[in-house]
Amino acid sequence: MSESLQPQPRFESPSHYVRGRHSGNVQSVTDAGLVVTEVNNGCYLNLRGDASNAEFNAAVLSVLGISLPLMPGTFMANDTECLYWLGPNEWLLVSAQPGQKREAELRAVLNGHIAVVDVSGGFTQLNLSGPSLNFVLKKSSVYDFEAWWIQPKNDLRCVQTTFAKASALVIGQSQGTVAIIIRRSFTDYIAQWLLDCAADNGCFISP
Amino acid sequence: MKQKNRLVVFGRTDPNQPINFTFNGKPYQGLLGDTLASALLANGVNVVGRSFKYARPRGIVGHGPEEPNGIIQLGSGSATVPNLKVTQVELYEGLDAKSVNGWPSVNIDVMGLVGAFGRLMPPGFYYKTFMYPKKLWMTYEHFIRKAAGLGKTPTEADPDTYEKLNQHCDVLVVGAGPAGLTAALEAGLTGARVIIADEQSEFGGSLLASTQPIDDQSSTDWIAQTVSAITAMPNVQRLSRSTVFGYYDHNFLTILEKRTDHLGINSPQGARQRLHRVRAKQVVLATGAFERPLVFAHNDIPGVMQASSVSTYVNRYGVAPGEKLVLATTNDNAYQTAIDWYNSGRVVVAVVDTRQATNGPLVSHVKDLGIEVLQGYGVIQAMGSKRVRGALVAPLNENGTKVTGPVEQLKCDLIATSGGWSAAVHLSSHTGAKPIWDDAIVSFRPGISKQQERSVGACNGTFDLAQGLLEGALAGSEAAQLAGFGDGQVKRGMPIVNTLEEQAQQALFLIPHTLPSSRAPSQFVDLQLDVSAAGIELAVTEGFESVEHVKRYTALGFGTDQGKLGNINGMAILANALGQSIAETGTTIFRPSYTPTTFGAIAGRDIGELFDPERYTAMHRWHEQQGAVFEDVGQWKRPWFFPNQQETMHQAVNRECMAVRNSIGILDASTLGKIDIQGPDAAEFITRMYTNSYLTLAPGKCRYGVMLKEDGMIFDDGVCACISDNHYLMFTTTGGAAGVLAWLELWQQTEWPELQVYFTSVTDHWATATITGPNARNVMAKVCDDIDLSADKFGFMDWRDGTVAGLAARVFRISFTGELTYEINVAANYGRYLWERLMAAGAEFDITPYGTEAMHVLRAEKGFIIVGQDTDGSMTPTDMNMDWVIGKKKTFSFVGKRSLERSDCLRDNRKRLVGLKTLVPTAVIPEGAQIVNDPHQPLPMAMQGHVTSSYFSANLDHSIALAVVKGGLNRMGEIVYCPAADGSSIAAEIVNSVFYDPKGERQHV
Amino acid sequence: MLLIYCPHCLESREEEEFSYGGEAHIARPLDPENLSDEQWGDYLFFRKNPRGIHHEMWYHATGCRRYFNVTRNTLTYEILESYLVGTEPQITEVGV
Repeated sequence: MSESLQPQPRFESPSHYVRGRHSGNVQSVTDAGLVVTEVNNGCYLNLRGDASNAEFNAAVLSVLGISLPLMPGTFMANDTECLYWLGPNEWLLVSAQPGQKREAELRAVLNGHIAVVDVSGGFTQLNLSGPSLNFVLKKSSVYDFEAWWIQPKNDLRCVQTTFAKASALVIGQSQGTVAIIIRRSFTDYIAQWLLDCAADNGCFISP
Repeated sequence: MKQKNRLVVFGRTDPNQPINFTFNGKPYQGLLGDTLASALLANGVNVVGRSFKYARPRGIVGHGPEEPNGIIQLGSGSATVPNLKVTQVELYEGLDAKSVNGWPSVNIDVMGLVGAFGRLMPPGFYYKTFMYPKKLWMTYEHFIRKAAGLGKTPTEADPDTYEKLNQHCDVLVVGAGPAGLTAALEAGLTGARVIIADEQSEFGGSLLASTQPIDDQSSTDWIAQTVSAITAMPNVQRLSRSTVFGYYDHNFLTILEKRTDHLGINSPQGARQRLHRVRAKQVVLATGAFERPLVFAHNDIPGVMQASSVSTYVNRYGVAPGEKLVLATTNDNAYQTAIDWYNSGRVVVAVVDTRQATNGPLVSHVKDLGIEVLQGYGVIQAMGSKRVRGALVAPLNENGTKVTGPVEQLKCDLIATSGGWSAAVHLSSHTGAKPIWDDAIVSFRPGISKQQERSVGACNGTFDLAQGLLEGALAGSEAAQLAGFGDGQVKRGMPIVNTLEEQAQQALFLIPHTLPSSRAPSQFVDLQLDVSAAGIELAVTEGFESVEHVKRYTALGFGTDQGKLGNINGMAILANALGQSIAETGTTIFRPSYTPTTFGAIAGRDIGELFDPERYTAMHRWHEQQGAVFEDVGQWKRPWFFPNQQETMHQAVNRECMAVRNSIGILDASTLGKIDIQGPDAAEFITRMYTNSYLTLAPGKCRYGVMLKEDGMIFDDGVCACISDNHYLMFTTTGGAAGVLAWLELWQQTEWPELQVYFTSVTDHWATATITGPNARNVMAKVCDDIDLSADKFGFMDWRDGTVAGLAARVFRISFTGELTYEINVAANYGRYLWERLMAAGAEFDITPYGTEAMHVLRAEKGFIIVGQDTDGSMTPTDMNMDWVIGKKKTFSFVGKRSLERSDCLRDNRKRLVGLKTLVPTAVIPEGAQIVNDPHQPLPMAMQGHVTSSYFSANLDHSIALAVVKGGLNRMGEIVYCPAADGSSIAAEIVNSVFYDPKGERQHV
Repeated sequence: MLLIYCPHCLESREEEEFSYGGEAHIARPLDPENLSDEQWGDYLFFRKNPRGIHHEMWYHATGCRRYFNVTRNTLTYEILESYLVGTEPQITEVGV
């Protein structure tokens, strides 16, 4: 008998082994200087294509219901999906829906010089918030995030930059909250970095 | 405890808060607000160290970063900090300091011998004395290092933490003296993001020790008012105890903030120091100036001090460092010190002014106080040994170059000197700007730089307070405007300052003696390194002309004070000796760091486990739980081997290797680089990058390829699979993944943008479990029922989509062991689940997890190379016996192809990959060992090649090695030798590089 | 530490985000097989290394992953312009 007749495969998110960890004298999210919360998104799809091609733009819009962000460092979002600008011909789709389904739907309407790659296992999203956030960002990255709050723009802001000794896509959510999307294999390192970084006022990783 | 030099007016120290400390083992008491220097002076401590070369007793000279003598070590053991300046250490309860220069004690002349020895230490001493005999250097060095005593390194790890902050601002103001404060205020008023940093504990700079009223209030009240205005602005970040120590390209500056040094040797909480890495749109430098000491004979005796420092100790700290003052000056400005000293209630013996006639308001004021002013006189020599006892004064000619009359002695215990002021052009110089000498102010001024910066106040050569305040305000508003804030207009009214007019100073850098410098008692230029005027003149006599050479020959300015006091005098003396102007002579280049900077702060938190990212696979915790020993491969942590209890590494690796050949092993291969390649031109592009062709590779098929750099040398290797039309998956080596992706992007983006292809890293997306061995198919069959596993349906170098352990998977039949192998890839979030299911399914076959060491042995048995181990950037595919991987029929000249035809690549005697079989089966040759024909030949031996991989093969029951040997393919059966450092050598026979299953039958089942 | 304008991200960004890509505007010979060793060697190994204006490639490694070109003064480290691959620099001489 095949052993593939087994119960539901066990899912372990990238932060599986660091959830609940904390630094400083904090035991919960309420008294921590930095709160780290992993968001389990349904899928991450890397999308490539020619932004100057109107058909490509229209096809993406027709499937996702949101249009491609064409301004560097911005993203478009609706309730369940976000489309982040990664480069002049590269975007990251983060969706609540399954990756294979979304990939198939996009492939069905896209033609020619395009690429759709399911990278759902390769990334995770950590939401960062709390009074220590700006301090933690200054310690973690060379990018000027302070400017996001000083000169607010209408656009939704995101940027790919260095984060500790790794890299991250950092997404501005609201004053005092950012999300970072990082590579799976760096999750333990980034978690360790954040726990250390915000230890003075405490860091708590949500269970 | 009595502080005999403490005045009744306490300045900015607090008489109600006494602080206990020890210096060189003796207990003392100071006050809150004291530096270690002011507290030592308050207690009448004269000698704080011994000089570097001559071991002469030395006392405190300055009051800031310019201090050359008071160099101390704080604390002991792990809690110790070397080479701090007493003038920059704030006093705290329990502070424990020792002189660094003063073995065995600053007060005992055991070093008299060295002193005598030291007299024979001219410039270039090391070069001259220690060139020969070489053997003696070790003896000399030990002696000199002990005598030099440049501080002790901590004996244990530093218990403190340090951190780095990346800062961005519109305007960075360096220095919070009068000009810096008005600059920050004006810049802040525009709403710009401003950072103002100052190295002192409180803002105010020179004004903290000034008696000059501003706006009808005391200077300290003006500081308080201004600082409070700045504090009210949330857009201004104030950093005190923060030294801007480096100014780098594109307005990048580094600041060392000492957060807790003033509280104790270790931080009570949080980081001890913080390194701010600041990118500023505009910079205002307001770094002030250093008073220039006068150079005269025995000017190093304790009790010879900077005039401005004497005023600072009196006014700011309420400390009078002596009783009877002789003030030696070349300018009006220093007369204020005589006034301050007089007001402290102590005796001013005389003011000795080198100028023939002076009658400015300050001079008149001093005369009105009844103080004797000797005009046209110089202090030509200090008397005393561990403390000044008197000053020899003599009349000078108008130029100040000759003694013109009889010498007389003035009794005193303190000689304050001033040769004018030198602008602190250090940070300006860091930008590459060459300082410009200005005779009018007898100082360098900042040069023109390519940075967005300006200097204001004293560091700009503007020594007048009112002018400095105005310059600061103008610069603050201008800098803000250039950064996009405000209209460039000054908003606040300028403070009213009635400074007294000063008459022209005299440019005098060496007070003459009755004897020439070469015969006079030493006239010290650089106190820390004992460089004298005579030494500089001697360097010129010996033929040195360039200021940079003289600096290195004499060590002028090489100390921890970086010549902040001595450099200008030294350059002027050099200019004089060369018979040229100071402008012609120029200055040495100031470079970062402005003051010594803690290594810990530069490292920040990038230490220990955070030194480099540790990348984990999805199965990492399983490996940990099994007791795996890990190996670093790039940033990845990979299991090296999985020891059972009591097993040695050797035993574990042997067991793992045997399991793979005899039943089944399982390897975590998730770390291999994986690049998804899509686009109409994908196959064409891949074919240009690899040596072989992918144009005809069908979906479901894999091919091994080698990638060359354009010079024809192997750069990476791996398998590439065709997923579907126009869609490929490329595997790279673990360490090469990022480099290969950048390499592909480089060629596509810059050379062949017309090729329609996109690359995406999918390394992290997939978790990969490799099962390998004769039982691999049996295990596979238990966890997968939707792929036909039969050899003719799913053969070697095929891949299939399917379901493994209930998971969507891509399964590749590629092999690095030479056995039947399935590489199973699933989305990484299910990696551990897959692994556990495979372990359970394989249990009946005793499935054995193996690590990178067994993987290396197994592939070496098969003669498979590892790029970066068996190749080193100088190996072609031919060198590796891989001509078969070069596509001969390819029409496009793939990357690296042309270079394979270069004459050097066609040489007959290139090193070729061979196997080595040791004559003694158990002898394992060290990797990297050199290969020779005759181990008894005289040195240097003729090298034949070297060993690239070497292991004991449990499966073959003897040692095996891969090596590259000159003309190796024609030398099969020859015996060569690998000599070791101890004179022994290992003999081995040259054999084919494939040791096991040479026909490759085991993987084709 | 340089501050480099990325013509794709339309922002000046810190040097840590980039890696150096070497001299720009070196076209690969179209027919390598018909070049002499010397001609091929010139393409392969020889670079300008000027004192002054230099056109060079940079890779926005942790950013948009695009290569672009930069005109830099090797004497002062001033970056005078950033421009797209496939386009020509506007600045070719100091002070022009």
